Parts: sequence; C-alpha cells; structure tokens
Amino acid sequence: MNILEIHDVSAGYGEVQILWGTSIELRDGMLTSLVGSNGAGKTTTLRTIMGLIKPWQGKITFEGNDISHLPAHEKAERGLVLVPEGRQLFTDMTVEENLEMGASPQRARVNYAKNLERVYELFPRLKERRTQKAGTMSGGEQQMLAVARGIMAEPKVLMIDELSLGLAPVLVLGLFGTLRELKKLGITILLVEQNVQMALAVSDYGYVLAEGKVALEGSSRELMKNEDVRAAYLGL
Amino acid sequence: MDLLLASLVDGFLLGFIYGIAAMGLTLIWGVMNVINLSHGPIIALGMFTTYLLFMSLGIPPYIGVLLAAVIGLILGVIIYLIAVQRVIDAPHLSSLLATFAVNMIIIGIGTAIFTTSPRNVDFRLGALTLGSITLQYTRIIAALIAILVTGGLYYFLYRTRLGKYIRAVANNRSAAELVGIPSNRVVAISFGLGTMLAAIAGALIATFLPFTILAGGTYETKSFVISVLGGLGNPVGALIGGLILGLLEGIIPAFTQTTWVPVIEFVLFVIILLVRPNGLFGAKE
Repeated sequence: MNILEIHDVSAGYGEVQILWGTSIELRDGMLTSLVGSNGAGKTTTLRTIMGLIKPWQGKITFEGNDISHLPAHEKAERGLVLVPEGRQLFTDMTVEENLEMGASPQRARVNYAKNLERVYELFPRLKERRTQKAGTMSGGEQQMLAVARGIMAEPKVLMIDELSLGLAPVLVLGLFGTLRELKKLGITILLVEQNVQMALAVSDYGYVLAEGKVALEGSSRELMKNEDVRAAYLGL
Repeated sequence: MDLLLASLVDGFLLGFIYGIAAMGLTLIWGVMNVINLSHGPIIALGMFTTYLLFMSLGIPPYIGVLLAAVIGLILGVIIYLIAVQRVIDAPHLSSLLATFAVNMIIIGIGTAIFTTSPRNVDFRLGALTLGSITLQYTRIIAALIAILVTGGLYYFLYRTRLGKYIRAVANNRSAAELVGIPSNRVVAISFGLGTMLAAIAGALIATFLPFTILAGGTYETKSFVISVLGGLGNPVGALIGGLILGLLEGIIPAFTQTTWVPVIEFVLFVIILLVRPNGLFGAKE
C-alpha cells in the first residue's frame, strides 16, 4: 500500500518553475531515497509535499486523502513530518522545549513521555543537554535534535532533507543507524541526501530526480548497479 | 531631598506600568516584526474603559482593569485579522501604514464620541506616609498589578503550551508550521496579547492620572523609547527599560522643568539607537 503519492506535481517559486510533473510513491513502512544533483528539485519536492509551497498543478494524497492544499501544520497533525534542510530549530528555546514543540500534534501529545524517553535513548547526548538552548549546540547535536524533534511528532511519514550535510563522518554513520531504528518502528521514511551511496545503502527504493522530474526509479539495489547512476552520482 | 525621593519612588512605580505597555509593543514585534502604531489609542481605550465603567456603572476601577484587558485582547485579534494579517509578510512600511490607519480610525471615533476634553476617574484611596514621603495608594496598587501582570505573562510564555507556541512562532515561524503549530492563529493571539497589555497599562494609568482620548500617544512613544532601550523583542528588557524611564521621569523634574522630560527621553532614544541599536539588554536578531 502507498501511504503517500505525488502525482504529476509542478511547483516553483514566483515565476521560476522547479518541478515539472514529478511523481513519487512511498510504500508503507519503507525507506525511500530521493537523490539527484543540486538544483534538481529535491528540497522543492519535500517543501511542496509538506505544503510550504503550494503545488501549481498535480495532486498529493496521504493515506488516500487529497492533501494537496492543506497548510503545513495540518499535514503535521495528520502525521506527515519534515525535518527541514538547515535544521530550522527553535534556537532560543531549550533542547527539551524543542522536543516538546515537536510533539504539537494531538496524537503525539498523548504519548509525549514515552516518545521523549525513546528519543533520549536514541540520542543520549540530547538528554545531557536538555536544558541548553538549541542554538548554542554544535552542528551535529543540532542535527540530532532536528531528527529527534521530527520523531516526537509521531510521524507516519518522516521526510528528512539532507541528513548528513556538514556533519563529521562518525556522526553521519550514527544518524544513518538511527534511520534503521526508525524503520523498525514502522515509520515510513523519505530521505533526501547528497551522499547517494549511503542513501541507497540504507534505503529500499530510490528515485533519481533530474531537472524537476523523476529520471529514474527502482529498488536501491538496482539503482546502485545502474551504469548512469554509478557514473553520475557514485563516481564509479 | 525628600521631594526628590518621593518623585523617584513615584517614577519607579509608574515605571512598572510603562514596562507592561512596552512589553505589549515588544511582544508584537518579537512575534511578527510589526510595529503596532495603534498601540497608543488602545492604551487610551483602556483608560476610557475604566473611566466609563466607573462613572456610569460605578464598577470599581480594578475590576474595570480586568474588563479593559478582555476588550484589549478581543480588539487586538480583530485588528490583526482585518488590518495586519494581509500585510504581515509585506515590507515594514505596509504594516506601519496599516496600524497607523487603525490608530487614526480609533482616535477619530474616540474624539467624535468623547471629545478631547480631559477626564479623570474620580476615585481616591488615600496615601501611605513613610517617614517624610507620601505615596498614593492608587499608584502602589497599580504598580503591584503591573508586577502581577508581568509575572503572569512570564508564567504564560514559559510554562503553558500556548505560551511556548508563541515563543516558537516568534523564534521561527516556518519551523512552527512544520511541527504542527497553527502559526496564523498563534500570531493573531499574540497581537491580541500585545494590545491587551496596552489596554491594561491604560486602565491602570487612568486610576491615578488625568487623560484624554489622545493621551495614548504619549505612552506609545514612551513604549518605543523603552522597547529600544530594552531591546525590541525582549520582554524583560521592556520591564527594565520601563523602570529606567520611570526613574528618569522622577529625577528630571527635580533639576529642570517637566517640559524637558520628553526632550531628554528622546535624546536618550537616539543615543541608544546610535550606540547600541540592539538595546541595552540585547534583542531578538
């Protein structure tokens, strides 16, 4: 079953069109990667799905319902959660307050204590820093917090924009390990990642985006063997 | 010397009320980057609420303050929805003009109904004599209420869900949307809270000072000075700024004529803008 479907979506900023009929489907419980070069429209895709940009045409369905024109906060309420590029934390608030804000959706509030414990288990570092202001932490810790805040929302679909950007390799490994944990919890994940090799290594399925359209799709194993993908993104 | 001391204490007490008026202004700025030019008329409406309730219905002024707060909150949400919401992402000039228009509308209607003749809530509680200085109870109570309101605001912003939502939206509105916070509603409520603080300040001032429908303007400009002093967007700074301004107003008349008070205040305003544009206590970036 597909939990999230994007049909032939076009979108952009002002006069500039970025997406030219993108179609993506997320299978329930799977980890899907969206890869492509800079400017291919990966971030725009996520922002359009989330409702931060209105689609010009096309349709977005979540659990079978048309959500194309819902505002972002209502999508979050339904379980569609984005960990945005550049983290977008509440930098003036403490770590724990950020996590509490993450648990704004009604469903997530009920299980706040349980989810908080789970998140602190995944990221013990955050527990140590829970009264510290988010803006004063290191880049890696902030990225952990961004992911943790996303988990606090009890997402059905968690979309992550550039998990590894600007982080030390050790941290990246840890965060990718966390993705596997999240998948085990039954969360459907859509991962946008510039580190194509790692993205395909952890994901079940992948889409290659080029010039605002899906250029290629397939199981991650197939994509890793694909000559074009190897040449263009894996440097092989 | 005793006169100076009494004047200082009076100014200090008044400073708490200036503080909450400025907090209203700074809260709105902090959440939505809008300078609310209708702050003054709402202060005046707070004054008239207390006045009318007391003079025509005999409702005690301190209950009038409560009602003024409710009216300020509701009015602010209405002003936001009608005049501010649409221009909130436009350049600052648009929201300045929009709130200025609201300012003119309220003053126009107010002048038509109440004229600009001075009013006075005819209400006395006597005075407290401490050694050689005498303090009006009305001022003491007004300052205590202002302190309570400040404490209440802090509790609200740091301990309640809605208050934290307001801080989250102020900090990063699109991130707030992403985590499921209905930011438009939160912004509307924040505007209402800002005007509520203005109305409370006005209602409190009316219990011990005479006023007209135009009186809000003076307090609005004082709120600007205080907000800049304390750092726009910083409520603690607003309170401290209010106290500084109140003390200044207590000291200045002891050395020169009262008419020099606004001159000195605005010279201070300009100096701070030049030397520390983020205010003495820092501000939201």
